Amino acid sequence: MSRRFDAVLVAACALALAFLALPLAAVFLRVSPVELFAQLGNPAAVDALLVSLKTSLIASGLVLCVGTPAAYLLATRRFRGRAVALTLIELPLVLPPAVAGIALLAAFGRRGLLGGTLDALGVSIPFTQAAVVLAVVLVASPFYLRAAIAAFESVDTGLLEASRTLGASPARTFRRVALPLAAPGLGAGATLAFARGLGEFGATIMFAGSLQGRTQTLPLMIYAQLDRDFDVALAVGALLVLVSLAVLLAVKLLPSWTRFTSISPSRSAPSTSL
Amino acid sequence: MLLGALAALAAGCGGAGGDARLTVFAAASLAEALPAFEPDATYQLGGSASLATQIREGAAADVFAAASVEHARALREEGLVEEPRVFATNRLAVIVPSVSELASVADLARPGVKLVVGAEGVPVGDYARAALAALGASDVLDNVVSEEDDVGGIVAKVVLGEADAGIVYVTNVAPAGAAVRVLELPPAAQPAIEYAVAVVTDSDSREAAEAFVDRLLGPEGRAALEAAGFGLP
Repeated sequence: MSRRFDAVLVAACALALAFLALPLAAVFLRVSPVELFAQLGNPAAVDALLVSLKTSLIASGLVLCVGTPAAYLLATRRFRGRAVALTLIELPLVLPPAVAGIALLAAFGRRGLLGGTLDALGVSIPFTQAAVVLAVVLVASPFYLRAAIAAFESVDTGLLEASRTLGASPARTFRRVALPLAAPGLGAGATLAFARGLGEFGATIMFAGSLQGRTQTLPLMIYAQLDRDFDVALAVGALLVLVSLAVLLAVKLLPSWTRFTSISPSRSAPSTSL
Repeated sequence: MLLGALAALAAGCGGAGGDARLTVFAAASLAEALPAFEPDATYQLGGSASLATQIREGAAADVFAAASVEHARALREEGLVEEPRVFATNRLAVIVPSVSELASVADLARPGVKLVVGAEGVPVGDYARAALAALGASDVLDNVVSEEDDVGGIVAKVVLGEADAGIVYVTNVAPAGAAVRVLELPPAAQPAIEYAVAVVTDSDSREAAEAFVDRLLGPEGRAALEAAGFGLP
């Protein structure tokens, strides 16, 4: 009986893996490694890779700086409107990217909600790399916030209280106890958000447009190449799959690495504050 | 059972049935004209080049209507479509938001003007570059802030007021309504823009596809195209 159940589980798992891997395998069957690496000599592909990496890194920095304290608040305090805040955070996850693009234009566009204010300050966001960064922040930050809230919630509140009773300030408790203990979860969330940001397409093309070397990211370049040279689109697509795979693999390897480096300071933190 | 449902969906999309609607792959600039001419067909609208790529990759199309003879001819040489026929002509227009201060095409070269054009390899983008070259105004391209993959993206960014100007087809102007105004391009700068239509060789409904093309080239099609602002060959 249990053997038959196991067989069902294995079959379902094999089917899922085959379905998820098949389209990606098909890309690599059509692109030889030589063609893939030849794209590193294609100026448009290199420009797109650099724009993608630069905007995703800046967006990740913003998400980490603002998202980490915000997630700590949402994870450790109970207040009115908390459920609404948590729902708002999840909304961009299910929003069609085109809607995200329209929403960004409605907010930050020249005729948008803040358009007049920004214009008075001499700032124009659409068609700039700042627009790409905002699009990436909008679609990628929920991935980090959700992971960060879960990571802070799983920190033993007893340890936080112990730190406070031993005289550490709330800020010091956050820095020396909560942050190191939540680090593996924060790292995983940050990497996932970074990978999602690399793949961002719909909001970017509406809000930032597409111009080589300025706002054309890898996904935008792949879409543009569909019109010109399908083989180049395939090769750059394969390149993006490899970059994303490397980022996700880093998530899997990260926990063992952060556990090793982060637990020792968190153990010594309370003793030094005595 | 779920797999059966999926198979049924795939068959439905392929248009395998006897009374299936005709599937027409058409350039985005035909978005108004063709459905007005034949409402009972299914239209897949997009950039001519990406539609050609989809047909190459085996998309189930019956008719291909491209914004350039070149794209139809390339598929003809690969044996994927029958002989293309020119059925309409078009002209370029520079559109600006109706509140714009820009008064002539020469103003496009002003510093800080945000111009949106089609990407290279996209018909409307190639035509725009040819027109600017004919005007001796290729430096206007320094003001390009976005290279779009189809004409719809250009119109949208001008209508929204995010771009200061866009180079599109004359036939895009009326559907965009009062939000935009046209800057005249000198006639000498107008490139020859010809639309070509062809029956897809692998079509499941060859006869209906051929009838569609014949009607499009006939009085009925010519009237609909003219009403939408196209020129006639």
